[in-house]
Amino acid sequence: MSSEDSNPAATPTPGVDTQGDGRWMSLHNHFVSNSKDKEPDVLFVGDSLVQLLYQFEVWRDLFSPLHALNFGVGGDATQHVLWRLSNGELGHISPKVVVLWVGTNNHGHTAEQICGGIMAIVQLIKDKLPKAYTLVLGVLPRGKMPNPLRERNAQVNKLVQEAVSSLPHASLLNVDPGFVHSDGSISHQDLYDYLHLTPQGYQAVCQPLHAHLKGLLEKQAEN
Amino acid sequence: MLFRDFGGNSGLIKTPWLWWMSGDEINPAAVAQAVEDVQGDDRWMSQHTRFVQECKDAEPEVLFIGDSMVQLMQQYEIWRELFSPLHALNFGIGGDTTCNVLWRLQNGELDNIRPKVTVVWVGTNNHEHSAEQVAGGILAIAQLLTSRLPKTKVVVLGLLARGDGPNPLREKNAAVNGFLRSWLPRLGQAQFLDVGAGFVHSDGTISTRDMFDFLHLTAAGYRAIAKPLSDLLLQILDETPEEKRASLV
Repeated sequence: MSSEDSNPAATPTPGVDTQGDGRWMSLHNHFVSNSKDKEPDVLFVGDSLVQLLYQFEVWRDLFSPLHALNFGVGGDATQHVLWRLSNGELGHISPKVVVLWVGTNNHGHTAEQICGGIMAIVQLIKDKLPKAYTLVLGVLPRGKMPNPLRERNAQVNKLVQEAVSSLPHASLLNVDPGFVHSDGSISHQDLYDYLHLTPQGYQAVCQPLHAHLKGLLEKQAEN
Repeated sequence: MLFRDFGGNSGLIKTPWLWWMSGDEINPAAVAQAVEDVQGDDRWMSQHTRFVQECKDAEPEVLFIGDSMVQLMQQYEIWRELFSPLHALNFGIGGDTTCNVLWRLQNGELDNIRPKVTVVWVGTNNHEHSAEQVAGGILAIAQLLTSRLPKTKVVVLGLLARGDGPNPLREKNAAVNGFLRSWLPRLGQAQFLDVGAGFVHSDGTISTRDMFDFLHLTAAGYRAIAKPLSDLLLQILDETPEEKRASLV
């Protein structure tokens, strides 16, 4: 993988306020202060796919009972998550499992760079939370029909799978239940804009994720 | 400029002219424009195509059109509870500006449908445009709707405040709403509905309980705005006589 210096996807970078209301930093600060009085067993961190998960019933049903916190920020790429976790969001908490779901917004980066960014986050989590397990979720396919981003995302997953295979503290979970139909299309019933999940889409993703998480937490408890 | 004065009377009310101002500058927020596929998966066009297809099969009484504020609403329970029963179609696309909505309406998203009410909610993404231009763009949309669908009533929702604390975009959105409040009534079939009351607390903050990223609404946030909106829609639908469809006679 590229070194941190030459891989923009693995170089911690704060979000830039291009619109004029400072929302990215507000959210980051909100997460930092939010973590001061919580003791989560699970931390979800990533982009809008993580953020939106918190808004639907499925979170309350499946993940609140696991004492989970949600640090998703829409639009985030790997370098943004890396910055957030390096700048306070892991400051006051010791989750047993970190669920990492990011990569689809790394526009302009190669699959190798994106994998490098994800692995940089995995390493950062290990450095800051030596006892935590990192569960990386596979990046989902996107777009109504086959397109280069689907290929890129699939390649990211393949590279990350290889990279974590030797690590005892991390693994990749493929959470795509089969969103791509035999004709190559994705349905808006699952991904309402061919990128973001509907509540139905989340159900299909989260049932196996929840089961896997519970297994991980039980194993962590035994250690 | 957006306006044209009639006569030299400095006290004369300016009439908003929109995109056919000969001799004047065009309002860029009132120029129809498709979204370019920069990311590589053509999602905007896929969504537009799907909406055009929906027009072929559906007979909506209510049409919602706009940006992610419209689009996201359909993902929450509140849509099924309050708006599906009104036979509503949702043509929201995240990120859309007034220009993008204008393009979509001019390119098939009004074909074969005759909704009694159209709800327009767009403008918060018009980052390149001034408040006046944004309001002019929204007016252009309302005018397009009333000219294509002469019997429709247009409800324009006010732009919500955004951001954690006071910031220039809140001022801009409030200014857009101010223009809309004065201009919309002149269109006759259009009205303005402010659904933003209560989101900004006395200390100037917005809670993530209402807007999870200080922009997009949570389920609770949508619940707060859906009630006054659905009340208004029911009122309009009750007042609108059943249209005799010539094709069924």
